[in-house]
Amino acid sequence: MEAFATFLLNFVYVSAILALVALGLAMVFGLLGVMNMAHGEFVMLGAYSAYVVQTAQISFFWAIPLAIFVSAIFGFLIEWSVIRHLYNRAFDTLLATWGLAILIRKGVEVVFTRDYKSVNQVVPGTVELFGVNYPAYRLILISIIICIFVVLLLWYQRSKVGLRVRAMVQNPGLAAAIGIDIAILSRVTFVIGVSTAGLAGALLAPLVRVEPYIGLDYLLSSFFILVVGGLGSIEGLLIGSTIIGGTDAVISTIFDKTAGYMSVLIISILFLWLRPDGIFYRR
Amino acid sequence: MTEKVLEVDNVSGGYGDLKVVKEISLDVYEGSANGVTGRNGVGKTTFLKLICGALPLLGGHVRLYGRIINRLPSHSLFQLGISYAPQESIVFDGLTVQENLTLHYSSSNLDRYTYVFKKFPRLKDRLQQKAGTLSGGEKKLLSFSRAVSEPTNLVILDEPTEGVQSDNIILMAQVINEEKVKGRSFLIVDQNITFLEAFSDRVHLFDHGEQTYHTDGPNFRNDIEKRILI
Amino acid sequence: MAFSIVVKLSLLSLLIAFPFVTNSYSAYQLGLYLLYGIVGQGIALCWGKGGFLPLGQALFFGIGAYISGLMLQNDVGWGLVIVTLSLSIVIPFLLAGVVGVLVFNRQIGSGPYFSLITLALALVGFQLANSQVWLTGGFNGLTGINGLPNIDSFGSLYFVIVGALVLTTIILSKIMGSPFGLLLEAVRENEERLQFLGNNTSWIKAAAFAISGGIAGLAGAFFAPHQGIVTPQVLGFILSAELVIWTAVGGRFGLLGPVIGVVLIGFLASGLRDAFVYWEVIVAFVFILVVLRLPGGIGAIGVHLSRKIGLNFHSYGEISERSRSVPEVDKIITRELKFEEVTITRGSVVILDKLSFKIEGLGIQCLIGPNGAGKTSALNALTGKLEVDSGEISWCGGSLNNVRPFQTLSLGIGRKFQVPSIFPNLTIRQNIDLSLWVNRLKRNQLLSMVPYTWKSDLLEKLEEVFPFISDKSLIAGSLSVGERQMLDFTMTVLSEPSLVLLDEPCAGLSKAETETMIKAIADLSKSSKSMFIIVEHDMQVVELLSDNVLVMHQGKLIAQGSLAEIRSNKDVQRVYAGGTK
Repeated sequence: MEAFATFLLNFVYVSAILALVALGLAMVFGLLGVMNMAHGEFVMLGAYSAYVVQTAQISFFWAIPLAIFVSAIFGFLIEWSVIRHLYNRAFDTLLATWGLAILIRKGVEVVFTRDYKSVNQVVPGTVELFGVNYPAYRLILISIIICIFVVLLLWYQRSKVGLRVRAMVQNPGLAAAIGIDIAILSRVTFVIGVSTAGLAGALLAPLVRVEPYIGLDYLLSSFFILVVGGLGSIEGLLIGSTIIGGTDAVISTIFDKTAGYMSVLIISILFLWLRPDGIFYRR
Repeated sequence: MTEKVLEVDNVSGGYGDLKVVKEISLDVYEGSANGVTGRNGVGKTTFLKLICGALPLLGGHVRLYGRIINRLPSHSLFQLGISYAPQESIVFDGLTVQENLTLHYSSSNLDRYTYVFKKFPRLKDRLQQKAGTLSGGEKKLLSFSRAVSEPTNLVILDEPTEGVQSDNIILMAQVINEEKVKGRSFLIVDQNITFLEAFSDRVHLFDHGEQTYHTDGPNFRNDIEKRILI
Repeated sequence: MAFSIVVKLSLLSLLIAFPFVTNSYSAYQLGLYLLYGIVGQGIALCWGKGGFLPLGQALFFGIGAYISGLMLQNDVGWGLVIVTLSLSIVIPFLLAGVVGVLVFNRQIGSGPYFSLITLALALVGFQLANSQVWLTGGFNGLTGINGLPNIDSFGSLYFVIVGALVLTTIILSKIMGSPFGLLLEAVRENEERLQFLGNNTSWIKAAAFAISGGIAGLAGAFFAPHQGIVTPQVLGFILSAELVIWTAVGGRFGLLGPVIGVVLIGFLASGLRDAFVYWEVIVAFVFILVVLRLPGGIGAIGVHLSRKIGLNFHSYGEISERSRSVPEVDKIITRELKFEEVTITRGSVVILDKLSFKIEGLGIQCLIGPNGAGKTSALNALTGKLEVDSGEISWCGGSLNNVRPFQTLSLGIGRKFQVPSIFPNLTIRQNIDLSLWVNRLKRNQLLSMVPYTWKSDLLEKLEEVFPFISDKSLIAGSLSVGERQMLDFTMTVLSEPSLVLLDEPCAGLSKAETETMIKAIADLSKSSKSMFIIVEHDMQVVELLSDNVLVMHQGKLIAQGSLAEIRSNKDVQRVYAGGTK
């Protein structure tokens, strides 16, 4: 029973983190059609923001605004200098953002060197839940992630800007005809998307080794989630995260880490091949 | 004569380097309506897209109150006072009717639409319904209602009557005539000559991407019909 | 042509002279870059020519490297080395071919899914190489790999690699200049049109991908003796991505571009590495600039410059005049098209509503009706573009319900779309060649030059009607709408189908062009043994051409007969009244 509760909590935790990490990529790819290969680098920037806050010896709380600020600035610059010229050219966004990813990685390496940094655990200790002692920070993370999703979902569904974003995605020509500046709206969407990646990085920083190359893994797992869940819906994103997270967790427990990762890869290939529009796609 | 609102001067253009519309000129005056008609595939829709900034010009100029507007992005044309209802993809299918009508304004109130709702009560009944579930004719009505109710001086409509019931077509013509009296101008592409006849001050006939004929009436129907074999 | 040979020969002599003018270490480095360049050539074949991007090319390179590494761990003679080399080519070739067929058969188009699948496969390969320690040595890789027998890995192996590069360049340029190469380019330009010219495009793409896999395997096979060690990195994600970057920077539209890209970036990197630790920043900048400003890569500058000074770099199209008549095509004798209660619905929309009619014999059938009547949909159903929900479509007795677009021409059905659909970046001659080959090009002629010389009586006749199509070297994209319609029409009829479907052949034409087109259609229908179905709005055209008129409205047939009968038909008048009244 305890083992099962632990497994269940781990499962929820892993899926929640995956969903958070993939959220930004889903927004940028699903809404703007940009294959952002530098997505993982924004997660990395967020993690380094947490490290900077720790070095400055101020409260970890400040890592969150700093991470959002840093990734928003980078996102803005990248959109303005590169991405805006490449909308509707998916392959080119893929190539250009791959170059950008190298730039960001190397830039961070210049400032922080290649060494691993560690960010201290901010909320140590455990909490008893369903009869098991579970790390408190993980529980806090789960609740923060739920909050982030609720806020973004409300923004997307209820706010005027969210409404216009949906309109732009459905029918960009008509949106422009009724006076909506789709260039600015795309930029806002891109910046918000990468900012969520930065936020994810800051939140995950205490749990991982922070180094310039961590972005790649986040990029790949985010892609897998999108592949399985399909683009354009929050439900798809959540289902994708649970399928990917769940498969990985179950297979890794039964066999080993490699088998878990392999099964994720194989599921992704099958989806790309047989259901390229994701699990919810209906004709 | 009254002030010239829109001046289309030798406009050519199309898709990529494909020239579909060839050197077309026409003027739209304050408080008047111009109709454009012709067979399918003669460049009427392309012509409107060129004027509304949805396609780049390959030649010529478009002026709004004397100012050249053909290099401006579509969204600023709306801000300069042009509302446009395209022929295809005319509504946001995934949004409700109310959202379709209000998304580009800061408030969601529907005061602007009181007048058209009186004419087309069906729309008011369907405010909370997703626009994608409307029939083709209802979508056209929605698109028409939005375009004529914007605070713009010039309204450009592309095939507004396609799939619309005949009694509603009559009401559409009424709305246009009433708006004309308020000093607004219209440029309307349609294949229904009865409809164009009801409000147009001038009708232009397009063929093979060129303007082959235009008439100021009063015998629109005969003038045009004898130039289109059945 | 001559110029490009001069360029290639001087580059080759530079490569051969390289070890003598520099030091052996530089030559050793260059050898590695050339191996990557060979992989890049394969990427160029798929991406530059075929328009689909393989993102996991290191997988095939790595498989080749592991096969040859495993073999060369033992002391082997040349006999076994040859076997090893063949395996290193054949296994990746087959693997890529199978993946290609499986993926492309399910998905038409060159979207990102194929690229992502190849990427994921490279990741799988990396994991396997890492975990199957017994075979691959795991994370530490295969070590103690010997050089090729009697060949010094730091010396003469370089010349072997140059030889391999020459070989791949010759083979690939032969492939690109063959009918297969033109078909591959046509896939990139307009895959749908190529299907309606009777080609199963998924096989074409899969074959190109297989070739690129085999070539990558060959490069990998030399990588093992060259480096003496093979680690899982050789088939990973990073190398895959770098290979694409090098190819993009160098230029993906030719065979020299990818090699130049790898060599330039390679030496730039090794030069910078000592002077500037973060040299990759510069490489990344160059790369982003290339994507933004120079989509053809550095190689494109060379081609552009040589054009400017009046030299032609084009690899084909200069082949001899047309001299051979096309092979005969089997002709269908009976001509009978039948729609029986064909119904198609999509969501709540009824597109075709129990559409039934039967037409037979020669002559021109005009299909008219108001917008949205289902005319184009009927043609779509007939050519496998739209799935039929119920009812039966048959042509000369055979059912067309499950036909796929690329099969229609082998049944004698040719189709021209409403919007002129041609291959814009190919020359007029190439556009015409593609249509002359329909039903005539045998599989064994795919790599032969003979089909380029074909001519046909019909082509000569059409060249008289549309004189512009005899301008061979003109790029089709520079034609006007009217000329494109005419070229598209020419392409549709050149395969001499028994049933010609023309969707608004006069749309977008000027008055004079319309007359030319009408005359061409009328002449052709008199001299050929084909049935024509024309969808048309222009009643003038209908009046001049039709032997029989079919009127559709709301997915149904409402009248059929001569134009006079149609004009006096009450139902038809009622339907059309909405249009002009």
